[in-house]
Amino acid sequence: MNLEKVIFGFFIVLALTLNFGFFLGEIDNPDHHGIVELFLVVVVNLIATGLKLGDRSQMGAVLLATSLCADLQLIGAAVIWAIAAHVSDDGMTPQVMASIVSLSGGALIANVISVTMLVGETLMLRR
Amino acid sequence: MAKAPKSSRVNFIILRYMRRPILVLITVYATSMVGWILIPGIDENGNAVHQSFFHAFYFLTYTVTTTGFGELPYPFTEAQRMWGIVSLYIGVIAWFYALGSIVGLVQNADFKRSLAERQFAKRVTRISDPFCIVCGFGNTGALLVRGLSDAGMTVTVVDWKDERIKTVSLRDYRSDVSGLCADARVPEHLIEAGLLKPNCKAVVALTQNEEINLKISVTARLLNPEVWVATQSTSSIHEDTLATLGDKVHIIDPFQTYAKYLGAVIANPAIHSLNQWLAGTPDATLDKVLRPPKGNWVLCGFGRMGHWLREALEAQGITTSVVEPNPLPDDEDLPNLIVGRASQDNLVKAGVRNAAGIVAGTNNDSDNLSILLNARALNPDIFFVVRENRYRNLVVFEAAKVDLIMMPGLVSARRILFLLIAPMMKTFFETLRQRDTEQDGRFIDEVVDHLGSVVGGTQPRIWTLDTLDADIHDHDRTGFQVGGKRGNALQRLTDAGRKVTLEHLMGDPGDRSRRLACVPLVIESECGAQVLPDLSTAVLPGDRLLLCGDARAYNLIDATMHNEYTLAYLMTGKDLPRGWFMRWLFTKRIFTNASEIKTTEA
Repeated sequence: MNLEKVIFGFFIVLALTLNFGFFLGEIDNPDHHGIVELFLVVVVNLIATGLKLGDRSQMGAVLLATSLCADLQLIGAAVIWAIAAHVSDDGMTPQVMASIVSLSGGALIANVISVTMLVGETLMLRR
Repeated sequence: MAKAPKSSRVNFIILRYMRRPILVLITVYATSMVGWILIPGIDENGNAVHQSFFHAFYFLTYTVTTTGFGELPYPFTEAQRMWGIVSLYIGVIAWFYALGSIVGLVQNADFKRSLAERQFAKRVTRISDPFCIVCGFGNTGALLVRGLSDAGMTVTVVDWKDERIKTVSLRDYRSDVSGLCADARVPEHLIEAGLLKPNCKAVVALTQNEEINLKISVTARLLNPEVWVATQSTSSIHEDTLATLGDKVHIIDPFQTYAKYLGAVIANPAIHSLNQWLAGTPDATLDKVLRPPKGNWVLCGFGRMGHWLREALEAQGITTSVVEPNPLPDDEDLPNLIVGRASQDNLVKAGVRNAAGIVAGTNNDSDNLSILLNARALNPDIFFVVRENRYRNLVVFEAAKVDLIMMPGLVSARRILFLLIAPMMKTFFETLRQRDTEQDGRFIDEVVDHLGSVVGGTQPRIWTLDTLDADIHDHDRTGFQVGGKRGNALQRLTDAGRKVTLEHLMGDPGDRSRRLACVPLVIESECGAQVLPDLSTAVLPGDRLLLCGDARAYNLIDATMHNEYTLAYLMTGKDLPRGWFMRWLFTKRIFTNASEIKTTEA
């Protein structure tokens, strides 16, 4: 067992599972999607990105790309949330909620790809 | 430099051809439009109105093209209708004339050729990988192109026969193969095929005419001194001229090559199975051994092939008798010569009943087959070598179950292919034979056993591994740093002070205790070439390896070369931490294998 792989795998998978948890629920219902969850998803995704930095293999490059994709969409979602809650006069309408959740859905796909690649590489090496 | 006149030539032909139809159309349109403007119409209130230029053109557009939207913008007067009839008919005729000219242009042979040439030149300009030019797409050329494309090499083909070039685009090549129907003797066509491009690696002249081959070789040599030239030649006059062109010109004489080969096979039969296996002949395995017997041999046909064979056989201490239909020149004297056709009588005279082997080596396939039948009737156990001149007769020769079939085209194609994609193969075989003689014929058997146990099977993959990446060469040229943060895994680990050996490269990335099915045949480094190197031999960036293995080994070794984590695992058995943070964490804090980790931090 390799401790480095444990840490790495943990964060990559946690990023996916938290993301899924936030995504779950009716898409435009603000009661189903919590701000704390979104915060955790963003933080864990950023940590996962940090762990992927500096890997010089081809696989590492693609893993980093998927992570950057997820970061971009999640930060986008967080910014929309902040604008809706504090800047806009309408507040958190179902339309705004729907666009936040759909952005997190996009990030979810990127995280799924990331985890699939991780599992694929592990299976291919068989050690 | 030759591209600009080519493309303008196509445009020029189009303009030449279309000049008159375009002038006719313009005149007809102009005349009709003037008529429409002059003839007054009437609006809904009965006022006289003249059509505008726009309306006149609009009406002509839909009338002359026979669309017919009606009388716009107001119903026409009778005068307008009459002019409508006139402009419709002359317009339609003008259009038919123009369309007919376009059809004629497209069918014009000169235009088609210019267009094909331009498309070909465009494709060639886009080639960025190293490529070869093959002139002549007959038997030998087609075999060579097939081999090159299987090895992933881009090829441009020039042949003067249109049907042959058409077949180029119909075959399923693995790499990019484009053909041009043109006379390869014209230097301009060789330039179009990419002769002057820096990534043009070789020009191969394989036309049926040796005069043309010579011309192509000379042209290629003079226009691009860097390029490597190979040609097939069976006459000594041309070879003398070709030899003056320098060491980058290779002349392949299929008969000499084959005679040498047969001599080597008689000296050690294992060479044949090894060669067939390495060349990827279908069904060739390493354990099939063919043993050409020593003893008296009968040579039927005493042309170039017969001469070379006799020399090679006598060198192996084999006596020969010759049956040749044409009398030899006076200055040649042979002890066992029978002049006449290879009939049963003459074969008996040549001693076929007691002979160990016979070669049917005339340049006529039906003669060779009849020699085969005659000789078989007289001596059923005789060892048979037969020359097959036409590839299409292969089925017949295979059905005859002869021991060895010699196809001049195949011999040349294989030789050139090996020279192009695995130049170290020559060193390999030369050393192999030399060491075999030193060790009384045991060495090759050992090598064959080794290859059989490690790689085995049929159709192994032979490839040259260049341990410097191509893009690194570029950086070298432009003065950028070599190695360091750039480069492949081998370069980085070597820069970090690690010694990478062949054993590391040959390891299975799935489990380093196992080895890939791959044998390094030759390693070429600064200190020279080493044949069948020991696995503890160090590999440095810049070394070239000739490897023989299965498809899995081919893919995985390439992956290892480009992934320093895999290579480091194969060297140390440990997975290195990936990413900056993990490296920091594991070097500074928790883990002990710091020394190993530090070395890879280039």
